[in-house]
Amino acid sequence: MNINPVLLKELKVRMRGWRAAGIIILYLLVLALVTFMVMYESYNNIYTSTVDPGRTTGTYTALALIQLVLILFVAPALTAGAISGEREKQTLDLLLCTKLSTRSIVLGKLLASMSQVLLLIVASLPIFSVIFMFGGISIAEVAQLFAFYIIIAITAGSIGIFYSCYLKRTTAATVMTYGTGAFLILGTFFISYFYIGVFLGWDYQGFFPLLYTNPMVGFASLLGDQFGYGIGSIGLPGLRGSTDGRLLGLSPWVVHVAFDFVLTAVLIALSARKLNPVRVKRTRRNAA
Amino acid sequence: MLEIKNLVKSYGRYLAVNNLSLEIPEGEIYGFVGPNGAGKTTTMKIICGLLAATSGEVRLDGVDVTRNSNKIKESIGYMPDFFGVYDDLKVTEYLEFYASIYKIKDKEKKKITNDLLELVDLTQKRDAYVDSLSRGMKQRLCLARALIHNPKLLVLDEPASGLDPRARIEMKEILRNLREMGKTILISSHILSELAELCTHIGIIDSGRMVVSGSVSEIMQKVYSHRVLRIKVSARVDEAELILKENPLISKLSRMEDALQAGFEGSEEDMSRLLAALVGKGIPVVTFSQLDGNLEDVFMRVTKGEEKQ
Ligand SMILES: Nc1ncnc2c1ncn2[C@@H]1O[C@H](COP(=O)(O)OP(=O)(O)O)[C@@H](O)[C@H]1O
Ligand SMILES: [Mg+2]
Repeated sequence: MNINPVLLKELKVRMRGWRAAGIIILYLLVLALVTFMVMYESYNNIYTSTVDPGRTTGTYTALALIQLVLILFVAPALTAGAISGEREKQTLDLLLCTKLSTRSIVLGKLLASMSQVLLLIVASLPIFSVIFMFGGISIAEVAQLFAFYIIIAITAGSIGIFYSCYLKRTTAATVMTYGTGAFLILGTFFISYFYIGVFLGWDYQGFFPLLYTNPMVGFASLLGDQFGYGIGSIGLPGLRGSTDGRLLGLSPWVVHVAFDFVLTAVLIALSARKLNPVRVKRTRRNAA
Repeated sequence: MLEIKNLVKSYGRYLAVNNLSLEIPEGEIYGFVGPNGAGKTTTMKIICGLLAATSGEVRLDGVDVTRNSNKIKESIGYMPDFFGVYDDLKVTEYLEFYASIYKIKDKEKKKITNDLLELVDLTQKRDAYVDSLSRGMKQRLCLARALIHNPKLLVLDEPASGLDPRARIEMKEILRNLREMGKTILISSHILSELAELCTHIGIIDSGRMVVSGSVSEIMQKVYSHRVLRIKVSARVDEAELILKENPLISKLSRMEDALQAGFEGSEEDMSRLLAALVGKGIPVVTFSQLDGNLEDVFMRVTKGEEKQ
């Protein structure tokens, strides 16, 4: 009954016509193609006579990673224009002058994009079923991975929405969203290595806390837990540590998910606040 | 109903709205007139909660607009001067989307949508995609959208601008209907004559300041208290000029060949007394006429006068 009207409208518009179907087909095509190539490579290079659980985990890892990268590319593209696009099309004021709260607008936009991502993830299930042929990975583990995807997608999506609110142009918002994503994935690694190299020395045996924010570290830790060997086995500096990067007894991926939740909540709150023309100005005036 | 007190909006050091006050009683159609850049849009956006005022107060039925913007937005229908529409949405879907924001029930939604489409004469276009509509139709659709939650106050920012004459007439027709329905409306234009026949009140704004305001008849009175007389005589122009000069109601006397032109601050009785005085002195008056002063003239005079200062 009380479904967000923006979400309903967005779904109606986004699912209309060939675009939505086109995105799904293209996505599955890319996913299937890359998966096939990876599997082909590994089967030709490694000569093993029997089905080997190592091969299953290799295929699973490859498939899971490809899907993660695709989601990291798609989610920002779907949200970075959400608000700035309305501004560019001059429809934003018409939305803001209604009684709809800015938080509802932001959430409606985000949920609409996330529904699209969810559709892609669900559509990828048949391709994932390949790994069940070999065994070694349970349905529960795939479900866990997909839940991780959704959390990553929501976080990437709220970064997109955030820039979409704060920047006037969609192109600028898109660039900044991918830039922030690149920072979280690559930047945090560079900073960690720089810090470790300069201040701690390369034989540093701990887990560098900044890396909790890195989605790739979270991903690696999740798969590591699923395979039964911790993230420390990767052997990279900053990821070592006798406790395997556990914080309060929690795996790095759990800590990363917690970080994502906090980041998402903050970004949504900031976006809603920025979008409210009256509120922003008033606090500024009070502060002055 | 709507009360604006000492409204100020500054962009940096630039004052877009400068100490503006106005009041619109229920059922009035208030025409907000001023040249481009006068501050009309800025004022309207503040009323609709789309812009924060630097200082001053806007109250709707006594409720502060800024502090209760979510509540106020249920009572105001706003039509911006420039706006876009969503592509991939049909006319009825467009209206139903905005209706759903106000939690209007499905059955009512259909009826309201139909009624509004009827009102803005878009019933035939109900299944067309909104981005395929002409400019005038989009404008009418936007007006229907502003009415979807049956607001107490309508704020229309230059609803007829950018329309061809035919679309303009259609828009005027709709606005006249709204007036008959007893809506309270604040409507802006940079052309005074466009509003004079529609509105009950007029406020002329320039450089962010209210220059003249009042009921249309008051404004008309102001126009006619500044009449311009043109007097033509067949002879004895000098004598006539002298008589006029002595009259305290006469100002800015000018002479062109056998005719005299002057500003006159007085009633119609004063005018006939002046004529009697001229004729009484034996001046052969050929014509004694008043140059047409209309709202446009006042507007030009008022805004020009401001520029000079
Ligand atoms: N965002 C803004 N930043 C700076 N100046 C602005 C902004 N918006 C409007 N102005 C200025 O404020 C003045 C009033 O604008 P506006 O209210 O749009 O006038 P009108 O609607 O009467 O044509 C103009 O001089 C305009 O240049
Ligand atoms: Mg304007």
